[in-house]
Amino acid sequence: MSARRIVITSGKGGVGKTTTTANLGAALAKRGHSVVLVDTDIGLRNLDLVLGVEKRIVFDLVEVVEGRCQVRQALIRDKRFESLSMLPAAQTREKTAVSEEAMVRVIDELAEMADYILIDCPAGIEHGFRNAVAGAREAIVVTTPEVSAIRDADRVVGKLTERRMPLRLIVNRIRPEMVKSGDMMSVEDVCQILSAELLGVIPDDEEVIDTTNRGEPIVLDDTKRLAAIYMKIARRLEGELVPFTNLESPNLLKQFFTLWKAG
Amino acid sequence: MRAFETALETDPAVAPSAALRRGRAIVITSGKGGVGKTTTTANVGAALAARGKRVALVDADVGLRNLDVVLGLESRVRHHLLDVLEEKVALETALVRDKRNENLYLLAAAQSREKEDVDTVQMKALIAQLCETFDFVLIDCPAGIEMGFKNAVAGAHHAIIVCTPEVSAVRDADRVVGLLPADWRPELIVNRLRPDLVRKSKMLSVADVNDILRLPLLGVIADEPGLIVATNKGEPLAYDAASTTGAAYRAIAARLDGEDVSAPTVNTEVGLFGKIGAWLGGRA
Repeated sequence: MSARRIVITSGKGGVGKTTTTANLGAALAKRGHSVVLVDTDIGLRNLDLVLGVEKRIVFDLVEVVEGRCQVRQALIRDKRFESLSMLPAAQTREKTAVSEEAMVRVIDELAEMADYILIDCPAGIEHGFRNAVAGAREAIVVTTPEVSAIRDADRVVGKLTERRMPLRLIVNRIRPEMVKSGDMMSVEDVCQILSAELLGVIPDDEEVIDTTNRGEPIVLDDTKRLAAIYMKIARRLEGELVPFTNLESPNLLKQFFTLWKAG
Repeated sequence: MRAFETALETDPAVAPSAALRRGRAIVITSGKGGVGKTTTTANVGAALAARGKRVALVDADVGLRNLDVVLGLESRVRHHLLDVLEEKVALETALVRDKRNENLYLLAAAQSREKEDVDTVQMKALIAQLCETFDFVLIDCPAGIEMGFKNAVAGAHHAIIVCTPEVSAVRDADRVVGLLPADWRPELIVNRLRPDLVRKSKMLSVADVNDILRLPLLGVIADEPGLIVATNKGEPLAYDAASTTGAAYRAIAARLDGEDVSAPTVNTEVGLFGKIGAWLGGRA
């Protein structure tokens, strides 16, 4: 078995890398794949919180790299999905405690155990970014429709392109009503600026804050609209052609008035 | 809330003080990215400048600069931080004056360079030089705790921690407080608060956040879509007299300036999040 190795990166922080990693990982596991999530944000780890496994951490990435434990010992299996596990980052160490070569070795070893490895990259483009990208063969760039996020994403796309790494885009936290009123960039605008292929569009949803705080990826709840959206992204990642969800509100009256005004 | 009020009164940094003899260098930091450091830097800077203070804003996010965009000055940037450090241009030449306020200046970061191209000694010297001519030097720190963070903190005298009411942001902020010099007394801005969600116990309250961080509260900024629009347009809300968010930034500036304004108030202190205490307990 040799897994697909995908880094989830953005340049700018706080655009949703960790939430995307957790939910996409859970979605892939839900679809029957074995998935390992790797938190490379040494010193500022958070993937454990988002997955709700923070109290079960025994060993971490740095201890694996330093040979103090086996990779298998450091992996934490998710309570809800047997085929989902995560390798936590160290919290009290620096990003320079891991080298790019060491990272490649760890990912190579993990690749024998799973179908998908999702690597959660830290914000920025420093040592932590280089480590996270080192072990990956493809990338998902997460951005929000804001000038600053897109500018940072553009810088990251440039760095990934230099490495000839295939990449696709997730546009996160879109607010269709603001796009409509001209106060927010549209998904098409974002893709055009970054000239990247689109993997998914995720609407802004206040429920994510709550589920993240509680350590329960929103994908777990089939009644949530974001769950369906992450499941679709997982299918696209598998290579299926899945149409993009229409994020416009299905308010018929509003549609009628729009048509009426336009007419 | 009472605990913070006491903290505000007893903290010499925010108590009404005599005129400052030299500039005060304040780093705006958070650990986690995307919590609003750059927006805070721009708005607090603009509000201080509107009070007649001479303010220099320094973008320390080499390689991923954004402060120029938030201020709407991106097309006026001709030189940057590294040009000054490498003595290619004089500091005065690299400073860009704000369009709206002649007291406000920006020193942009280099976009096509790396954070490792700067060291802490150079940063200290640069900030000291700015403090000779400016009343306030606000340093916009990059996300993370790598070299860029160390550089941003190097020349500062004081820190403002920006944190959103999210468990991950609080955890990262707590980590950053631990990395700052032990004799500092960083002040907290809680950003993007949604009182409606706090009321429904779907978001941490200011009290929940500060239960963990225990910092003097400098301000609370509510989440509002208008902020995204203002940021995209490069027009800080602090200049908007009609905006309540602008007013919140102006109050923060007044506090930093030593004016005795009342402690930040939020009428939503009902959150009861046991989890946050639980994870703190389980933390290494």
